[in-house]
Amino acid sequence: MIETLRKAARSIGNPSLQAWNEGGGKVLGYPCTFVPEEIIDAAGILPYRLRGITAGTMSIGDAYFGPVICSFPKCILQLAGQGSYGFLDGAVVVNGCDSMRRLHECWRKASEDIPGTLPGFFHYMGVPHKATDYSIEWFKEELGILARSISDHFGTPVTTDSLRRSIRLFNEIRSLLSELDEMRMSETCPVTGSDAASIVLAGFAMPREEYRETLGKVMARLRKSKPVSDGKVRLMVVGSASDDADFVELVESTGAIVVSDCMCFGARSFLKRVDEDADPIEALAERYLGGNLCPRMFGWYKDRLAFVRDRALRSRVDGVILQNIRFCDLHGSENGLLERDLEAEGIPCMRIEREYGPLVETGRIKMRLDAFMERIRTVGGRRS
Amino acid sequence: MIVSGCDVGSLATKAVILNERSVLAQAVVPSSFDPARSADEAMGRALEQAGLRLSDIRYCVGTGYGRERIPFVSKAVSEIACHAKGAHWLIPTARTVIDIGGQDCKAIRLDARGNVVKFLTNDKCAAGTGRFLEVMARILGLGLEELGNQRGKAGEPIQLASTCTVWAQAEVIHHLNAKKDIADIAHAVNRAMAARVAILARGVGIERDLVMTGGVAKNKGVTSTLEELLGTGIRRLRLDPQVIGALGAAVIAKEQAEGGKA
Repeated sequence: MIETLRKAARSIGNPSLQAWNEGGGKVLGYPCTFVPEEIIDAAGILPYRLRGITAGTMSIGDAYFGPVICSFPKCILQLAGQGSYGFLDGAVVVNGCDSMRRLHECWRKASEDIPGTLPGFFHYMGVPHKATDYSIEWFKEELGILARSISDHFGTPVTTDSLRRSIRLFNEIRSLLSELDEMRMSETCPVTGSDAASIVLAGFAMPREEYRETLGKVMARLRKSKPVSDGKVRLMVVGSASDDADFVELVESTGAIVVSDCMCFGARSFLKRVDEDADPIEALAERYLGGNLCPRMFGWYKDRLAFVRDRALRSRVDGVILQNIRFCDLHGSENGLLERDLEAEGIPCMRIEREYGPLVETGRIKMRLDAFMERIRTVGGRRS
Repeated sequence: MIVSGCDVGSLATKAVILNERSVLAQAVVPSSFDPARSADEAMGRALEQAGLRLSDIRYCVGTGYGRERIPFVSKAVSEIACHAKGAHWLIPTARTVIDIGGQDCKAIRLDARGNVVKFLTNDKCAAGTGRFLEVMARILGLGLEELGNQRGKAGEPIQLASTCTVWAQAEVIHHLNAKKDIADIAHAVNRAMAARVAILARGVGIERDLVMTGGVAKNKGVTSTLEELLGTGIRRLRLDPQVIGALGAAVIAKEQAEGGKA
């Protein structure tokens, strides 16, 4: 069961996605947690979170983005340019950050040079950087435009009823993943961090009803599983987009267990539910703009610090790894602040700036992880 | 009780043999493509110096980038912990260590027992590493030691605008073509290196005494500029700064052996 999820987490395609595709199902890619998957799902289309894993070279990505920029959107463009995203019927790009916003223009430009690179439906959605009454109004309009554009292009209407159904489905998935999150944070964590990452990551790439069923079975087994955390150093991973279960595996190879995270490919993607009783578009706007603790949002540092600190304390971690992709201004600067404030409270932190993608820097990162583990083991972890 | 430490770095491999009180032997050899071979060679030389055999060593700790491929070690430890231990063994009042090796640079803060309480390492590139100085020395036609001994003349000093090794190299070539004095350019190279390292050191928060380890600590131009930039003196070591990682590994080996883990 979990093997299916492990495989889906470590590749761009997966058998369920392929079967969906072969059965005539449409797939729409999106790169960031500010895009409500429910709107795509409500049109009967599979929402697929774009990733850059398996990109072995950056020849196309570098040509359009240039060298000094985050490698995550570059790897997405690389895969699109080399045909790996041929199964997409559409894509929605947002200004999650400046690098991600540039994916929109770079993808369009690349498609002029490499025909067939751009999916048939290609939509840009603006996301405000504040969550105030007027910006939520603006975001609601953006969501309305997205819903209408999808309906018009694919001929499958997004209705209030279909949105409510999708919201219920995604909330069920969120409930299961939140339960997994609580299990991991407990003293008797029954799952390694790399398997937990695989479980969450597969949910961005599989048809969701099938994923909910598989997840339900995995959870039923985990509820009866023995702890795997005994005697291990408990760590939390925080920072920029990381969809690499192998990175977590590398961390855990040092004798640690990752029991908690604060990342957009992790807990931040599922912790907050959508209000099922309110107007669907309004509820989605509130949840996706108002409840997303990404450092792209202005003025919320204290809330983000409180969130990370609360999770670190509740999961009784011995240390926090603050990682960010090279040239990520948002997480790079935020990690400096988090390090200052968490260390001041006696929570050991280690900052790593790394390249996105295959673990080419294993030696360098492993040396630091070893040193961090030695620090925790000799000087001690979190001082309570 | 005789113990040893072996540090397989990117450019050089170092070995240190220690007894209860003092260093019996130390060796530095260039690293080859094979960490195991480099380790054998460095340890072989140190053993020869001390008139010992490998079987005389009670416990050996390996460190450096090749630490997990050294055949004769009992335990592998990160070089961050080893540099801290080595510096602390020589100077017990040491609380901050700056280590500049061939391919990275580390700033480490330690407690009164020589344990690491915080560390930072450079992330971006070759800037701020021994490799930067090697590249610059080669263009200037100077040996590494000569580069370190160059002091700029009075007047307007040359500034290197870029810390990137490739761009800084282009700048140095530009200054050479403009017939600028080699000593002034070399001084600018040392200053650029020190400025880069100072940023990292401030990031970890400097507490006295400050100690510098790694091959670049032999460069007087860098160390004196660093003292100036950080506003504090750097304590001199009585051993070759390049072997401090291996020394620290040997100190950890001693602790392990005394703790009954040998």
